[in-house]
Amino acid sequence: MPMYQPSTRREADMKLDSQVLDLETAVKDGILGGGCGVIPTDFSSEKLDLKLMIEELEFVDVPTVFICPISLEPMQDPVTLCTGQTYERSNILKWFSLGRYTCPTTMQELWDDSVTPNKTLQQLIFSWFSQKYLAMKKRSEDVQGRVKEILENLKKVKGQARVQALKELRQVVQAHGIAKKTVVENGGVGLISSLLGPYTTHAVGSEVIGVLVNLNLISNIKSDLLQPAKMSLMVDILNEGSFETKLNCTRLITMLMEGNDFVSENVASLSLLVGLLRLAKDKKHQNGVLAGLSLLKVLCSHEQVRNSFVNVGAVPQLVELMPGLNNECLELVLYLLELLSNIPEGRLALKDCPLTIPNVVKLLMKASENCTQLALSILYVICKFAPEECASLALDAGLAAKLLLVIQSGCNPVLKQRSAELLKLCSLNYTTTIFISKCNLTRTIQ
Amino acid sequence: MGLLCSKNRHYAEADIEENAQAAEIERRIEQETKAEKHIQKLLLLGAGESGKSTIFKQIKLLFQTGFDEAELKSYVSVIDANIYQTIKILYDGSKEFAHNDVNSSKYVLSSENKVIGEKLSEIGSRLDYPRLNRELAEEIGELWKDSAIQETYARGIELQVPDCTHYFMENLQRLSDANYVPTKEDVLYARVRTTGVVEIQFSPVGENKKSGEVYRLFDVGGQRNERRKWIHLFEGVTAVIFCAAINEYDQTLFEDEQKNRMMETKELFDWVLKQPCFEKTSFMLFLNKFDIFEKKVLKVPLNVCEWFKDYQPVSAGKQEIEHAFEFIKKKFEELYFQSTAPDRVDRVFKVYRTTALDQKVVKKTFKLVDETLRRRNLLEAGLL
Repeated sequence: MPMYQPSTRREADMKLDSQVLDLETAVKDGILGGGCGVIPTDFSSEKLDLKLMIEELEFVDVPTVFICPISLEPMQDPVTLCTGQTYERSNILKWFSLGRYTCPTTMQELWDDSVTPNKTLQQLIFSWFSQKYLAMKKRSEDVQGRVKEILENLKKVKGQARVQALKELRQVVQAHGIAKKTVVENGGVGLISSLLGPYTTHAVGSEVIGVLVNLNLISNIKSDLLQPAKMSLMVDILNEGSFETKLNCTRLITMLMEGNDFVSENVASLSLLVGLLRLAKDKKHQNGVLAGLSLLKVLCSHEQVRNSFVNVGAVPQLVELMPGLNNECLELVLYLLELLSNIPEGRLALKDCPLTIPNVVKLLMKASENCTQLALSILYVICKFAPEECASLALDAGLAAKLLLVIQSGCNPVLKQRSAELLKLCSLNYTTTIFISKCNLTRTIQ
Repeated sequence: MGLLCSKNRHYAEADIEENAQAAEIERRIEQETKAEKHIQKLLLLGAGESGKSTIFKQIKLLFQTGFDEAELKSYVSVIDANIYQTIKILYDGSKEFAHNDVNSSKYVLSSENKVIGEKLSEIGSRLDYPRLNRELAEEIGELWKDSAIQETYARGIELQVPDCTHYFMENLQRLSDANYVPTKEDVLYARVRTTGVVEIQFSPVGENKKSGEVYRLFDVGGQRNERRKWIHLFEGVTAVIFCAAINEYDQTLFEDEQKNRMMETKELFDWVLKQPCFEKTSFMLFLNKFDIFEKKVLKVPLNVCEWFKDYQPVSAGKQEIEHAFEFIKKKFEELYFQSTAPDRVDRVFKVYRTTALDQKVVKKTFKLVDETLRRRNLLEAGLL
């Protein structure tokens, strides 16, 4: 006799029948997509606020059916029109208040202006967000726990184990925003910076910097790190490290300098300046070039530093660096050269470097207006300093045509004024005819 | 006929043997050359008494088997000599100050001590020193305690009194024991002027006890002589460890009492940096004798040395010491970049603060040096 077999059809089978038996299941099994497995949840225990959850989950991929077509935001109070389209209540009511009684998506005239709350959708949205939210909370607790574990570990271990722990901490901090907060809250910043000492190995030091650069540092930590011995260590690590380490060091020093420019002088050791120059010359890594030049700009705001900078041969290196840079970097290089042109050693170095004039002249009217302005200043200073030599070189490089271009262009009047002055300066040594011939101008411009 | 044949055979055999030997020698040469390539050579340079030999001894203690009993015992005569020489310098010095100084009474010894002093001065001027015994040790101790001698010692810098003075004088009883065997520390303090070149080969033991690089360390004498004649023999060394005693800013040279020691170091460093044979060599600058520097810098201002004449103290105590140290470091850095042609700027240059007598410091410092050199190797091999 055939026995009635109680149905052991699994939920999966039920899915195939497209019958959603309960919301929890539907959401858990990811019918709507974006599901992430089974998380034991107890919806009734916590009063979860949908608005709050939507805010906290702002970067999550929300299923399109939950999104209001008007605001493109997840719906909290979905209502359906007679056309069958669903919108966020406040948005569609606003639409109506403008006098439009159409369905925004289908463009149809509404034959019935009633809005029906879509309870089903609302509950689905709530379940979905709750699940995501609780999963996120759990993950962040995991992260927090992991961070605390690593910090405890760091207090005890040495050598290779210390390097490993720091590497792990760095990865966690880079991957999860919440980790940063946890590190700060648990005294991690102080702990990690204390690992920087006179006998810190490169392996440990570079990892410490890798972590610190991701965190928000408060002023007493900054002051601690600005101590000469620790700065020395950072500079050594910058000079010896891989590109990533160099970049981290540069970024960290830049962070430390913010709001602290009176310490420029002490920070800007010759080794640092040389190291940053090296970084700036590494064309394979454009973001390194930018970071290096930016920090150099900050450091050179101090007069003493400018002298040192010229002494380490910065000028010819910066000049040779110019071709092929993007505009942002070009502006920084020109800014630096302009600063250096204001000191006698700098002027001399600029004049002595054979590529200065050709490279700078090329930049006139080429990149941004700022670049042109800086280039003009530099040229003016050099030509004033050594008119006979430089004027000739400048004209050979096609300066005159460029200057006329500036004067005739729509640039701001200051630039035009400068160009005129420069033109005059260059022409001082020549009679008009010789000058014009030197300019290699085309007939029309003549 | 048979004779001829056998002679030929002899020749043939001899030939084969010779060829075999030659081949063997070739092979050995090739093997050793290959092995040599993997040995990193380090050269200790620096002015006299900058601490090179102490570093050398430390490395021996740390990474080799240290000193065996025979070697330790060999230092007894050195230590005795140091003691006699020192007490003689002090005694003669006290007489000189008593004669010339305005406050001459400070430097006048008691009459008993004068007798002792004369006796010791005579011993100290001999070529061969007697072994230090109880009696002599007591007499030296008495003389040392005399206030005149202490006053003279306070001006020790003018007399070229060596740094080990205080240490040995405080340990006279132990050192004069009949069965005295010098301790490691005693050996580190013992002062003997290095002549010629000494070398040791070692491998710094890493964390996991696996052998790392093999280093060969060379120590050459520091006093002025014909450096330029032999320096090129060290072309191709991996690194130069340049020792500079930073406490010497107010002292003059042993071999030239008109020349300030720090200025001598400055010139030597400059000269070494510019040598063509060191174009690609890494430079490790050991700013040594920090322990003595710490105590001195708060009492004797840095600007007594011409090189440091633009120094301005900013605070006091520990902060001031740090500030002064950083100033000196910066000066050496400036000198480095000034003396380095643009195409050489890529060689490694690192500065370390050392106290060569402190084994822990030397060990930690060397660990960092080792790391830097290993990274450099990897970088050059394109693996970094």
